[in-house]
Amino acid sequence: MLKLSYIQKLPGIFLVIGFIILVNLFQITSTKASEPEQQTEEYCLSCHSNPDLKMTLPSGEELSLYINSDKLQTSVHSPNGIECEACHTNISSYPHPAINYQTRRELSRVYYSACQKCHPDNYTRTLDSMHAQAAEAGNLNAPVCTDCHGSHYIHPPSEPRTLIPATCGNCHTQEFATYQSSVHGNALEQESNPDVPVCTTCHGVHNIHDPRTQQFRVAEPDLCASCHANQEMMAKYGLSADVYSLYSLSWHGVDVSVYQARWPTVQHSSAICTDCHGIHNILKPDDPNSTVNPKNLLVTCQKCHPGVGPNWTGAWTGHYKVSLQRTPFLFYVDSFYSIFTPGILWICGIYIALQFIRFMVDRVRRSL
Amino acid sequence: MSQQKSIPSSPNIRVKLVQTFPRFNVSQRWEHAVFLLSIAILLLTGLPQKYNSTVWSQAIISSPERLNTIQQIHHITALVLSALVVYHLGKAIYLISRRKLSGDMLPTLQDIKDAWNMLLYLIYIKKQKPDFGKYNFEQKVTYWFLFFSIGIMIVSGYVMWFPETITRVFPGGVIPAAIMAHSTEAIVTAIFIILWHFYHVHFERLNLSIFSGWLNDEDMRTYHALEYSHLVHEPHSDQDPGDVKS
Repeated sequence: MLKLSYIQKLPGIFLVIGFIILVNLFQITSTKASEPEQQTEEYCLSCHSNPDLKMTLPSGEELSLYINSDKLQTSVHSPNGIECEACHTNISSYPHPAINYQTRRELSRVYYSACQKCHPDNYTRTLDSMHAQAAEAGNLNAPVCTDCHGSHYIHPPSEPRTLIPATCGNCHTQEFATYQSSVHGNALEQESNPDVPVCTTCHGVHNIHDPRTQQFRVAEPDLCASCHANQEMMAKYGLSADVYSLYSLSWHGVDVSVYQARWPTVQHSSAICTDCHGIHNILKPDDPNSTVNPKNLLVTCQKCHPGVGPNWTGAWTGHYKVSLQRTPFLFYVDSFYSIFTPGILWICGIYIALQFIRFMVDRVRRSL
Repeated sequence: MSQQKSIPSSPNIRVKLVQTFPRFNVSQRWEHAVFLLSIAILLLTGLPQKYNSTVWSQAIISSPERLNTIQQIHHITALVLSALVVYHLGKAIYLISRRKLSGDMLPTLQDIKDAWNMLLYLIYIKKQKPDFGKYNFEQKVTYWFLFFSIGIMIVSGYVMWFPETITRVFPGGVIPAAIMAHSTEAIVTAIFIILWHFYHVHFERLNLSIFSGWLNDEDMRTYHALEYSHLVHEPHSDQDPGDVKS
């Protein structure tokens, strides 16, 4: 019975296997027959490696369709197998569907949404940014992914690090120029210093917020402190890492910390780091052009304290410990209170305690 | 300062006579009341600003507007206190010019001796407390401590209030010094008042003479023996007689 059944089933098995093979063959041959293989770069480049390939958009702008295959190989995507169709999702064959974009800008603004597919986090963050707000407000020049990262030839954005300010500087030319001459920008360009902040260190990367808001303002000392309170980093440059902690105890700093902690959105103008040191134009305090150079300090103070006299700058102790050399008067007051306060309290406390003991003992004795 | 008054008493009614001695005049009593109130308000409005990171401070200073109000109250009260100090000093100068200022409050060598003897009494070396005059050394310490402390508070307070004007004349260093002094001195003063003054006038005995103006016979004998014997044995004819209560 068993043997018979196997023999009986055998033709059926062959039939099934044969059918599967046949279907496979049919499928493969059918695709090969209809279109040539096209999902590769090679296929696209067979046309797009022509430097003269271009088209004219309805706006009259010329759109080059040339792709430099050598440069493409240096991109982060291509060598990792992420090829043309990953972004150009609507193009899978030749002839291509018609391009309906009026301008180059319109094309960029549509195409960049392809980044979302693989980089959803950064894409979403960008939607929360100042740039996205500007675009919503109608400024189509507000940057999209490809404006900073490039489109076909995408490289790690921070290699080299000097590239970051240059990228932002494409649009923010004024700020870039100012930054370049600042102590931070200068160290970046001259020494490729890895510690100095670039644009993104302070402004963030994808979710860049408006730095003119009150929230940004009150949080700004913390931002500077992320480097300037770092003992190890500051020691490398012979800078004090106490500037922030001492500022926090100062008149300005106390005010700012209260507003930051409790009313971050309420307009308040107590001085933060950048009010005195500058923003993009920060220089070493001993630089004659620095806003906090002793020669310029009074003018800087007068921005908020109009009409104050030359003695005014002597009131500033926000970055220095109490010392006899720098602030003798404060030093003496501090010394006085460091002796007087505990002295008075101990004397009072002991005297009252003795009186209390004697008083209670006498009272108990009388009652006995 | 007092004269024994004889009250015509019938033999049938037994009257207990409590003799009182005038201790503070109306002006002094008012000065104390205003002083007390202004210090209380200054502390209530100043401490939340000093301890701004604490929960209780944040409950009081709940908004920037509230902070502004508190600072205004502090400033107005400071003006009241300043006026009081000007009045107090002005009165003293006026009395000095007419050679009428009583020297009772001036510290003397006797106060140091009294303090030493009091200390010996407190540690059971002496059996008896020293006899005190009109103001004992404890009360003089209270007065002079507050005299200088309020002086520092007022000066440093105005430096903080008008720093831009102050630095036209004085070096900038006075401003951070004033901030430090104002803040520290306030705490020292508050603790001093609570520890020293409150103990002496509330706990040791309830002494309300600064409000009522008078001190009774028994308290005078116990706490101001020298003054008492001085008044009883050598009465001055030009001074007011004390009230007599029955």
